[in-house]
Amino acid sequence: MKILIVDDFSTMRRIIKNLLRDLGFNNTIEADDGLTALPILKAGGIDFLVTDWNMPGMQGIDLLKTVRADASLSSLPVLMVTAETKREQIMVAAQAGVNGYVVKPFTAATLNSKIEKIFERIDAA
Amino acid sequence: MELNSKTALLSTARELVSALEADNEELVQQQLTLLTQAQDSELFLEVGKLTRDLHEALNSFNVDSCLVDLTESTMPNTRERLNYVITTTENAAHKTLGFIDATMPLASSLKETAEKIDESWHRFRKREMNVDEFRELSHDIEAYLPLVKQHSDQIHINLTDMMMAQGFQDLTGQIIRQVITLIEEVEVKLVRLVQVSSKYIEHKKEDKIVDPIKAEGPQINAENNPNVVNNQDEVDDLLSSLGF
Repeated sequence: MKILIVDDFSTMRRIIKNLLRDLGFNNTIEADDGLTALPILKAGGIDFLVTDWNMPGMQGIDLLKTVRADASLSSLPVLMVTAETKREQIMVAAQAGVNGYVVKPFTAATLNSKIEKIFERIDAA
Repeated sequence: MELNSKTALLSTARELVSALEADNEELVQQQLTLLTQAQDSELFLEVGKLTRDLHEALNSFNVDSCLVDLTESTMPNTRERLNYVITTTENAAHKTLGFIDATMPLASSLKETAEKIDESWHRFRKREMNVDEFRELSHDIEAYLPLVKQHSDQIHINLTDMMMAQGFQDLTGQIIRQVITLIEEVEVKLVRLVQVSSKYIEHKKEDKIVDPIKAEGPQINAENNPNVVNNQDEVDDLLSSLGF
């Protein structure tokens, strides 16, 4: 299981990376916005995408839409981890096909439960 | 000759009418020129007043604390300071994460060895242990106890360093306070500029197109905003109401 973590702040990437490691996901890779994430995703081999929303270059919501529109990536599970908390934004992300939405600041338990839920759904499907 | 008073204007107008009725073209021109000049001088008066107000406003900026200084040095300086806040908080976060990375394996190793010894100890108490195994157990315990002290000392050092890494808050807090003060100063000056100029500026209401999903970062005072969720539970409720 290879996970791509996309956030413009290196500290947040490190926190998410450490939490994922504690959950047993040791194979992670990082990108600092949507534009740098896309070539990595298109190169293949990524099984799960964790992305922030507010980033320079390409924002997380646009990355999500691009992923869903790409035939080879459209079924990639995407977890949004963001400080964006407007109801409208959450609804747009849901409509765009996000698999989970975690608001910052978050706890290890929240991240854990959202990731588990996503995999439960994938396994059930 | 200036036509500032109503009486003078009226009399010029009357003379204009009589000149027109009398077909006195020369007089008509003369009276018309007088009336136009009256209009122009009012415009000049208005422009003069505006210039004076603007001059006074600019002077008052200079007296207060130099608008020029504000734009030339204070603003770039503030940008530098805010960048310093980003760098400092980032460094502190990485430092803290580094100490956590260094501490976690120490705690894990203590736990793992303790579990192993605990299991052997229980077997010993239940007399399920032969001599060789007991010798190994006592060897493990002998090696473990100094390790506990050593790791605990290191954990204590790491925790102290983590605590010290939080010292950034004092520094960044001071800088952010300075920026707040600066913004207040600029606000006061801008309000005065608007007060002076608003007499002459026609207010046009522009219909701004607002992107409802524009990224805004953390919401301040979100409790009173119905369009914003306050915690993960509210996110989950919203998503499940959408059939998620």
